[in-house]
Amino acid sequence: MLEIKDLHVTVDGKEILKGLNLSIKAGEVHAVMGPNGSGKSTLSFTLAGRAGYDVTKGSILYRGEDLTALAPEERAAKGIFLAMQYPVEIPGVTTLTFLKASLNAQRRARGESELDAMSVLKLVREKAKLLNIPEEMLRRALNVGFSGGEKKRLETLQMALFEPALAILDETDSGLDIDALKLVAEGVNAMRSPDRAMLVITHYQRLLNYIVPDRVHVLAGGRIVAEGGKELAHELEAKGYAQIIKDAA
Amino acid sequence: MNAAMPWLDARRAEALESFRLKGVPHRRIEEWKYSDVRSVIGAEEIAAADTAKWQIEGETADVDVVDLSGEIPQWARDRFAMLGLHNAMESASLAFAKGGIAMRVTGNKAAGPLRLNWSGHGHARVFIVLEEGASLTLVEKHAKARGLRNIGTEILLANNAQLSHIAVAEKSDEAVGVETITVKVGPDARYNAHFANFGARLSRFDITVTLEGEGSEARLSGVSALGGGTHADVTTHIIHAVSHTQSVQLFKKVAAGKSRAIYQGQITVREGANGSDSRQTAKGILLGERAEIDLKPELEIYADDVKCAHGAAVGDLEAEQLFYLRARGVPEAEARNLLIRAFLEEAVLEIPEEAIRAEVWREVEAALEHLV
Repeated sequence: MLEIKDLHVTVDGKEILKGLNLSIKAGEVHAVMGPNGSGKSTLSFTLAGRAGYDVTKGSILYRGEDLTALAPEERAAKGIFLAMQYPVEIPGVTTLTFLKASLNAQRRARGESELDAMSVLKLVREKAKLLNIPEEMLRRALNVGFSGGEKKRLETLQMALFEPALAILDETDSGLDIDALKLVAEGVNAMRSPDRAMLVITHYQRLLNYIVPDRVHVLAGGRIVAEGGKELAHELEAKGYAQIIKDAA
Repeated sequence: MNAAMPWLDARRAEALESFRLKGVPHRRIEEWKYSDVRSVIGAEEIAAADTAKWQIEGETADVDVVDLSGEIPQWARDRFAMLGLHNAMESASLAFAKGGIAMRVTGNKAAGPLRLNWSGHGHARVFIVLEEGASLTLVEKHAKARGLRNIGTEILLANNAQLSHIAVAEKSDEAVGVETITVKVGPDARYNAHFANFGARLSRFDITVTLEGEGSEARLSGVSALGGGTHADVTTHIIHAVSHTQSVQLFKKVAAGKSRAIYQGQITVREGANGSDSRQTAKGILLGERAEIDLKPELEIYADDVKCAHGAAVGDLEAEQLFYLRARGVPEAEARNLLIRAFLEEAVLEIPEEAIRAEVWREVEAALEHLV
C-alpha cells in the first residue's frame, strides 16, 4: 500500500527527514514512535502533501503511484487521510457544510455522483452516533470552540465518512483524557479492515494499548532506527527513547 | 430646491463658499488620503454636474415622501441642511443639487422596507426624519453610473426611533460616487447600517453618526469585494456625545487585481460620555499582490469608564485553513472560495432583515465569481 524509500525532506531549508524507509501493506496497522523533534509531524505532513515540505531525495509510492507530485486534494481523493494533531478552526464554515463539501469533492474527483444535502446528513448522523457526536456540534463552525476531545472525535468521524485506504493518525492521543481516548480508539479500530492500512504516529505508548499495531518503528533524527512487533512499544515505555536509540546505534 | 427660498438660499450660499474654500478633496488632506477625488474630477465639472435621479419602490403609505426638486415641506424647513457641512463634497451637494428626496415617518409607525434607487449622475440631497418611536427599513441602491454621483444625506432619529439603512453600491468602473451621511441619534434610538461596496473608479461612503441621546446605539457593518482597478472607501466617524451610548462596527474587505479597499474609522468619546461602549473590527484579505487594503482605526477618548475594543488586520488567506480543506479533498480554488465567503459572510449577517441579507449576499457572491 505504502512504500517509502530513502526519504529526505527539507522544511525551511533544514533537512528533517534523512533517509526514512517504511513499508506498509493493506490490512496492517503500523506505529511510528519517536521523541519530540524526531520528524514525526514532518512525515505526516509530507504524506498529506503540505506546501513547504520539500522532498529532496527518495520516493513515496502509494499503490504503486508516485505521491510526491500530487496536490493534497488529489491524495485525499485517492484515499489518503491525515487525522491532524491540531485540527484547524474555520470560523464561518459550519461543520456540516465542510463535510458535504469535502465528501463531494472527493467523490467528484473519483468520477462518482455527488450526494445531496439530505443524503450527506443521513450518512453523517449514522457515523456521528457511534462517536457520540451530537447534532448540535455539526451545526457549529468547524472546530471553533471545540474541546480537544471534540476535535479528535470529529477527525475520527471524517475518517469514518471518507473511508480512506491509507489513514495516518498524527498524535491522535494528544490532549485527550482516557474516556475520549477510548472512544476515538474504538472508532479507529472499527475501521480496521483487510483493504485498509493505518499509520499511527505517536510519542507515547498509551494510545497503542487501545490501537494495537502490527509493527512498531522508532523514528529518531529523521530516520527509522529500530523496528519490531507491538512489544517494542512496551520496551520503549520501560527503557525510554534514549536507551533504545543508543541500543540501535 | 428650485424655487427661491430665502432661508435655504443662505444655507446654500454658505455651502458654496465652503466648497470654494476647501476645494476638491485630494490625497494631501488626511481624511482623503486614500481617496483622491481631485485626480478624477475637477471643481468646474463638479459645479456643472446635473442632479442625480431617484426612484422609490415599496409601500409608502406610512411615509411622507417628498420630491425636493419642488418645495421643501414645512416639516423639514427648520431642520433641513442644519447638521453642518462635513466635507467639501457634502457642501457641493447642498450648493449644486436641484433636487433629492425627503422622507418622514411619524407616530410609532413601522415603515418599509423601502427602496431608494439611484440612477444617472449629478448631485442630490436626502433628508430622513424618523419621529419618536417610528421605524423604517431603507435599502439604498447605487446603480452603475458614468461620472459623478454625489449625495448628501441627513438623518434625524428622534427618541426611540429605529432606522435600518442598507446601502449597496454596484460595481461601476467609470463612476465617481460619494455619499456623505450625517446621522443624529436621539435617546434610545438606533441607527443600524450596512454598506456593501463593490467598487468604482472612486467610491466613498462617508458616515458621521452622533449618538446624542442616552441609550442611543449605532451598529455599522459592511463588505467590499473588489477586483480590477476599482476603489471603495468607507469612512466612519462615530461620536459618543453623551453617556451610556453604544456603537458596534464590523467591516470586512477582500481586494483582488489592482483594486483598493479602504476603511477609516474614527471614534470620539466626548467628555462626560461616561459608560460608553464602543467596538470596532475591520479585517481585510488581499487576493492579489497588486491589491491594497488600508484599515485605519482611530480612537479619541475624553471620558471615563469607557469600554473600547478595536482591532484591524490585513492578511492573506490562512495557509493552515487552506491546507486543512485541501487535505480533506477540497480543491484549492474551491477551498479559497469557501474561506473568502465565510470571511465576508460574518459582516453580511449583521443585516437584520433576512430577505435583504439574502439579496446583499447574492451581490457578494456575484462579485466573488469574478475574483476567485
